Amino acid sequence: MTGDPLAQAERGVSLWRDAWLRLRRNRLAVAGGLMLILLCALALLTPWIAPYDYKAQDLALGAAPPSAAHWLGTDTLGRDLLTHVLWGGRISFAVGFVATAVALAIGVLYGTVAGYVGGRVDAVMMRLVDILYALPFMIFIILLMVIFGRNLVLLFLAIGAVEWLTMARIVRGQVQALKQQEFIEAAVSLGLSRWTIIRRHLIPNTLGPVIVYTTLTIPSVMLLEAFLSFLGLGIQPPASSWGLLISYGAETMEEYPWLLIFPGLALSLTLFSLNFLGDGLRDALDPRIAKD
Amino acid sequence: MALLEVEDLSVWFHTRNGVVRAVEQVSFSVDAGETLAIVGESGSGKSVCCYSLLGLVPMPPGRIESGRARFAGRDLLRLAPRQLRAVRGNQIATICQDPMTCLNPFLSLGEQLMEPLLQHRKVSRRAARAQALELLEEVGIADAGRRFGAYPHEFSGGMRQRVMIAMALIAEPKLLIADEPTTALDVTIQAQILRLIAEIQARRNLGVIFVSHDLAVVADIADHILVMQDGRVVERGAPRTLFRDPQHPYTRKLLAASRRGRKAAPPPPQREPVIGIEGLRTWFSAPGGRTVKAVDDVSLTLYRNEILGVVGESGSGKSTLGRSILQLVKPTAGSVRLGGTELTRLNESALRPLRRHLQMIFQDPYASLNPRMSVFDALAEPLRYHRLASRRDVTAQVLALMDDVGLPRSAIRKYPHEFSGGQRQRIAIGRALATRPEVVVADEPVSALDVTIPAQILDLILALVARHNLSLIFISHDLSVVRYLCDRVLVLHRGKAVESGATEELWAAPQAAYTRELLAAAPRLD
Repeated sequence: MTGDPLAQAERGVSLWRDAWLRLRRNRLAVAGGLMLILLCALALLTPWIAPYDYKAQDLALGAAPPSAAHWLGTDTLGRDLLTHVLWGGRISFAVGFVATAVALAIGVLYGTVAGYVGGRVDAVMMRLVDILYALPFMIFIILLMVIFGRNLVLLFLAIGAVEWLTMARIVRGQVQALKQQEFIEAAVSLGLSRWTIIRRHLIPNTLGPVIVYTTLTIPSVMLLEAFLSFLGLGIQPPASSWGLLISYGAETMEEYPWLLIFPGLALSLTLFSLNFLGDGLRDALDPRIAKD
Repeated sequence: MALLEVEDLSVWFHTRNGVVRAVEQVSFSVDAGETLAIVGESGSGKSVCCYSLLGLVPMPPGRIESGRARFAGRDLLRLAPRQLRAVRGNQIATICQDPMTCLNPFLSLGEQLMEPLLQHRKVSRRAARAQALELLEEVGIADAGRRFGAYPHEFSGGMRQRVMIAMALIAEPKLLIADEPTTALDVTIQAQILRLIAEIQARRNLGVIFVSHDLAVVADIADHILVMQDGRVVERGAPRTLFRDPQHPYTRKLLAASRRGRKAAPPPPQREPVIGIEGLRTWFSAPGGRTVKAVDDVSLTLYRNEILGVVGESGSGKSTLGRSILQLVKPTAGSVRLGGTELTRLNESALRPLRRHLQMIFQDPYASLNPRMSVFDALAEPLRYHRLASRRDVTAQVLALMDDVGLPRSAIRKYPHEFSGGQRQRIAIGRALATRPEVVVADEPVSALDVTIPAQILDLILALVARHNLSLIFISHDLSVVRYLCDRVLVLHRGKAVESGATEELWAAPQAAYTRELLAAAPRLD
């Protein structure tokens, strides 16, 4: 045999690749994806590209409408709004991604175990989820803030701790359906350990819906952060987030509308992009289409 | 003049991926009192052919490109939808493959039967009821009065098909289109339904179009047979001449699929027991405190290098027996001994290293392969996991397995959805062989495959059993397949073994009444 036959063989089209090919044909989803990449890049590069120093004030200037020097205008303390939108985006994206990652990790693992083991373990695990669901979210967050004080890490954890519940339910449903499939029975009869079956056969097959749900969780987490900040429970000044900016903007909406419009636009743009991407992914990953 | 005359019918589907010529220039005619059988594999256009006559093909993407269908002085293909609907309900009736999907689960059978009478005939409720009862008796439902208020799920598959036939007869049609009406049924029930259709046809002088994939099923009932392949009629004729002297190679292939014959090789001479099953019971508790005795006191010994057929109808417990032997389902009582080890007493972790000696081949090759694993991943996993191959020679071993089951080496990096059903089954067989098992249980491995494919898979299984010294338990409802493959046969009925013996002896002189019934009911081409 000359060379590696694996490398020589024609590469098959895996379901992932198939989904990618289908996603690429969906213009709206591709546009959403590109927009997200752009926004993420801006958030990452903020320290280098922000036009003004974060703390710079120009009290003499005060609130000024958009101009050549300040593209998005300034706030009542004369701070550049573009700079603050960029820095706020960093926080909003961080909250969105980190809290979703927390939810994803806990939810997928928890849901898979509950669904696969089944029986009494499943019953106990899912009742716990039901109980957590029943807790009023706001009270939960306020309690956490009161007990531990306000900080960013806590915010990540608090939001993640709430968002994983739905994820766990989705994954558990998926796993229960998959468990009936013959390829799982085949894996059992091959003598694979439970953990191997979960890792290699179950989780990869639940990922489609999980990815879709993730793209829809990120915007809801960002909204949640905005909401909490708006209420004064989230990010604290001088740190900033889109939610906080919108909150300030709302107060001065009548005199200085740009303070509301631009942060609002940034948030909406991100949410739209994520939703378009999520919809596109859902269509692309639907195995029913892939089958025929 | 014939009851229905179809000339030059072409139906194409205009899909995003191009034009599919589902039916191409098909002509046939059916007379009153006559049965026309249309036979072919799935995708041959046999169903589209019938449904396009009734306007039941989705358009678009479907389009009738050409043709005429004369029925009762009119051309069905030129009728307005409203006129066609009148024909559909009244003069041409259909019976479908799965009556459960055709019946409304929320209405009692009586209501469903009376509905068209009340709607179209404007008869009184009492008259409708009387007529519906009469029909139920005609299709052989005993005790029709009492079952009038029952719902579809309370009936067995055979009973439901009888109800479907009764519904088809309400409007007193002149032509009956039956699309694989017995495919979902057990052999003994199939025989009853075929007899029923023939009786009704004779009594009412009906024209019947019978669509099937199995030549043996239509052998006794058809006056004419149309063999279709890829949308075209490749051969037509009376059953006798067609069976005696098939002209087209495809017809010969279909005939071979229905006419399997007996096992060629003699059973292995040396008798070394591999696995011994004693008094095996697998009971499940069902809702309502009942106990379902899926497997009830079955004993058997499997010898090296032999193929044991397990035969039975749906619900006989044959699949549960297979899974209980492999410990995929925990037996309630009894013993399963592999070599010197009693498997039923082991817990899961003690069992795991032994599992590689016991492998399974499943019915549905679409569900039995992980859709996210390539052929290489699927075959390498058991090799790596049980350390049967070192990192270096894993690829070589996977390739050897692929050669063994007849998969082209170039397919090593492809994924299940890129293969046909037959090839997927080859991957699944390769995976079962990867662990070098001693015992393999094959649960209906060819019943989900299209007509001409099983022959290749069966021959592959025969070759592999001989080559690897395997002992195989072959579970099937299809007697012709079992006779072709198995050295010995065990007949299961309601969880109990009613008879077992060497295949040809059992065929020549079945002892149990149930075995005789089963053998008599199996459709044959002689």
